[in-house]
Amino acid sequence: MIQASARSRCVTVTTTEEKPAVDVDDDVDLEFVEMIKKTGGPNIQNCYQCGTCSGSCPAGAFTNYLVRGIIRKALLGLKEEVISSPDLWFCTTCYACTDRCPQDVKPTDVIKAIRNVAVAEGYMLGPHQKVAAKVVEAAHAVPLDKESWQNLRVKVGLEPVPPNASGNPWAIDEIRKITKKSGFEKLIGYEEFMKAQKEKAKKKAEEKKSQKKE
Amino acid sequence: MPERRIGVFICHCGSNIAGVVDIDRVMEAVKGLDGVAHVEDYKYVCSKPGQQILKDKIKELRLDGIVIAACSPRMHETTFRNAMRDAGLSPYVFEQANIREHCSWIHSDDHEAATEKAIDLVRMSVARAKLLEPLEESEVPILKATLIVGAGIAGISAALDLGDAGFKVYMVEKKPTIGGHMAQWDKTFPTLDCSSCILTPRMAEVGAHPNIELITMAEVDKVDGFVGNFKVTIRQRPRFVDLETCTSCGDCSLVCPVDVPAEFEANLSFRKAIYVPFAQAVPSAYLLDMENCLGVDAVRCGKCKLACEAGAIDYDDQEKIINIEVGTIIVATGFEIFDATQKEEYGYSIFPNVVNLGEVERMLSSAGPTQGHVVRPHDLKEAKRIVYIQCVGSRDERTNKYCSRICCMTAIKQARMIRDKTGADIYIFYIDLRTFGKGYEEFYESTATAGVSFIRGRVGELLEDSETHLLTVRGEDTLLGKPIKISYVDLVVLSTGVVAPRGSKDIIRVLGLSQSPDGFLMEAHPKLRPVDSFNDGIFVAGMAQGPKDIPDAVAQAKAAASGAMGLMGKGKITIEPYYSVVDEDKCSGCSVCISICPYNAITMNDRDRAEINAALCKGCGTCTSTCPSGAITSQHYTDGQISAMIEEYLSAHE
Repeated sequence: MIQASARSRCVTVTTTEEKPAVDVDDDVDLEFVEMIKKTGGPNIQNCYQCGTCSGSCPAGAFTNYLVRGIIRKALLGLKEEVISSPDLWFCTTCYACTDRCPQDVKPTDVIKAIRNVAVAEGYMLGPHQKVAAKVVEAAHAVPLDKESWQNLRVKVGLEPVPPNASGNPWAIDEIRKITKKSGFEKLIGYEEFMKAQKEKAKKKAEEKKSQKKE
Repeated sequence: MPERRIGVFICHCGSNIAGVVDIDRVMEAVKGLDGVAHVEDYKYVCSKPGQQILKDKIKELRLDGIVIAACSPRMHETTFRNAMRDAGLSPYVFEQANIREHCSWIHSDDHEAATEKAIDLVRMSVARAKLLEPLEESEVPILKATLIVGAGIAGISAALDLGDAGFKVYMVEKKPTIGGHMAQWDKTFPTLDCSSCILTPRMAEVGAHPNIELITMAEVDKVDGFVGNFKVTIRQRPRFVDLETCTSCGDCSLVCPVDVPAEFEANLSFRKAIYVPFAQAVPSAYLLDMENCLGVDAVRCGKCKLACEAGAIDYDDQEKIINIEVGTIIVATGFEIFDATQKEEYGYSIFPNVVNLGEVERMLSSAGPTQGHVVRPHDLKEAKRIVYIQCVGSRDERTNKYCSRICCMTAIKQARMIRDKTGADIYIFYIDLRTFGKGYEEFYESTATAGVSFIRGRVGELLEDSETHLLTVRGEDTLLGKPIKISYVDLVVLSTGVVAPRGSKDIIRVLGLSQSPDGFLMEAHPKLRPVDSFNDGIFVAGMAQGPKDIPDAVAQAKAAASGAMGLMGKGKITIEPYYSVVDEDKCSGCSVCISICPYNAITMNDRDRAEINAALCKGCGTCTSTCPSGAITSQHYTDGQISAMIEEYLSAHE
């Protein structure tokens, strides 16, 4: 809060944040909109920026996520800015915007289409990458990899391991074949991710060791 | 057949044609053709000197057929025909080859191919011109009376113009009173003129006009005939009160024990079963709503008849069929307010404090159900915080794609009036504000200055506190780029758009009119024939044609009236000889043509042969191609003429 001018002294307010103008020649990728139209958001150019989507958005009420803003930037061709922003991943795909959009833009599908582009260009949030890696590793996004969960199953009268991939290692191998052949592993950067994970684990173990020594 | 002497004139249209088509080559190709007596080119054949050349050559060379290679016939056919008429030649031995729209404009990237196509088009035109006949134009008399369907401000304005000019007007209105929606509105934008103060004198004038016959509670059942001679059947519902005898004293209404929602008051108050819609209604007489009446005999009720001193009430009144004959028809059937229950996220008819524009108009009216107070309906307390939501049922793929045009200004006007009266906080959520008319932008600016807040964004959802019935509005302020929430809102007004009335389907069927994709009536040309329908002698005016404000509706009404006067003033009309004719020797009387004619122009005559009404026939050729005996000929588009063109084309491309 600035409470200045009414009093005797005057505070000069400035901002150091840079706000460069959009440069149509340098920043804009005109192919971006066409790509979105092909990959799930064919009506994106119907958008007249009314804000019904962002006004309906439960995620946007509590985060910086602004559906309309993302669509606006996409329409202008600001591809790098759109796909590199973590905001892109805040949509919970509840479809409230798609239900209410007066121009049938289907904003949820547009966001999904942009996410596909983002991942293809190497932008993905860590947690999402982790989940994707689980699919490759265990053939399930949420695998049964803790003993406590097995106990929980037994407690409610189920077999400890369900008759899905978790209990059938051969199925995991099959899935692995698919993820490799379809390019999914490469898309999510699986090997680099696992390498990083291993290094992280190693570092952690070393830290623990040194802590124990001390 | 004696050798024809065809004159071919090739227009450069500046560089429009000559810049693409090689004119010299076209001339060279046409010169030697059989029957061609003269070939000439000119920079603008449509210009005065160009027309003079045409006239001179017709006389000098005794030409008896003309081909002009130029623009589309829609552009200048009439120009050239009139020039031929001046030169003493029948205007029907004329063929226009379209080498602009159909050739140079669309093939500007390939001059060689365009030139070849132009040559083909001119050759084909010459082939047809050799077979053209000098047809006779016929004339039919036109009745000097007009039927006007719908008595809102558009219908009223047209009726007064026609009536004052001395033409007989029959005005058919579905409702018990004339006046339309304008009578329900409180003030008009941007001048804040009292709506009924400017409308009701016009209504009274209609009621008293010697040339205007008012037929209320009635609908057009059937229309036969054609321009100049329409035979109209009107069905009038019983009113149960005699218009002449009723003194509008209201004694009947006082004793009536029935209370039903009043349509005129947007259902915000009640009326009796015997009632007058509003004080200045025209005709100024009560009517009995038999559906809601308890019963007319003394056991069930019958009180009103006893109370009526004038003896105007007739419980045995019957539906009437009225037959009239008119020369022209004006359709001004108006609009309905969009049904906001279709937009579930806005809670209309679920949350009591969500209303539409029409309801606020009645609340604003000092003669209305709340005597001019804008209240929240759940407890009738003055609304202190009001939110307007624009484009409800407009600019929306799920309901109506079009802009309703009047809601921006209506919302601004209402907001301004409420702000001035009570100082309430008012927020208007908009997508784009369309303040297009004279003085509208200035009014918007002064309303912002008066303290009404405008927020650029469409509302996402409404939430209601189930105890207080107060509302929370969620949307985005797109100019801030942030979600916005307004809580403790007393009243949310949905700026409901306009839609074509449900009943317009009937009038469209009866008159054979065309409809635009938006449901409103289609005009013959969006720019040059904005109030003509596709059917000669039938005009459209006001909201029936599409969303518009009062000045535009009145302007259209005056245009339609002037169109009707233009036709009727002449006393007779010329019919282009493009109709089909039947060769009775060949006709077998099978009636197939009658069943497929889209204009109902064919009947069986007393010799059991098909006969085509020249005035009704549009020369579409459907009957010609359907007739199993080949007995029908489309004049000016004979099979021979068309095959001559095809043969000419093919002979050059073998």
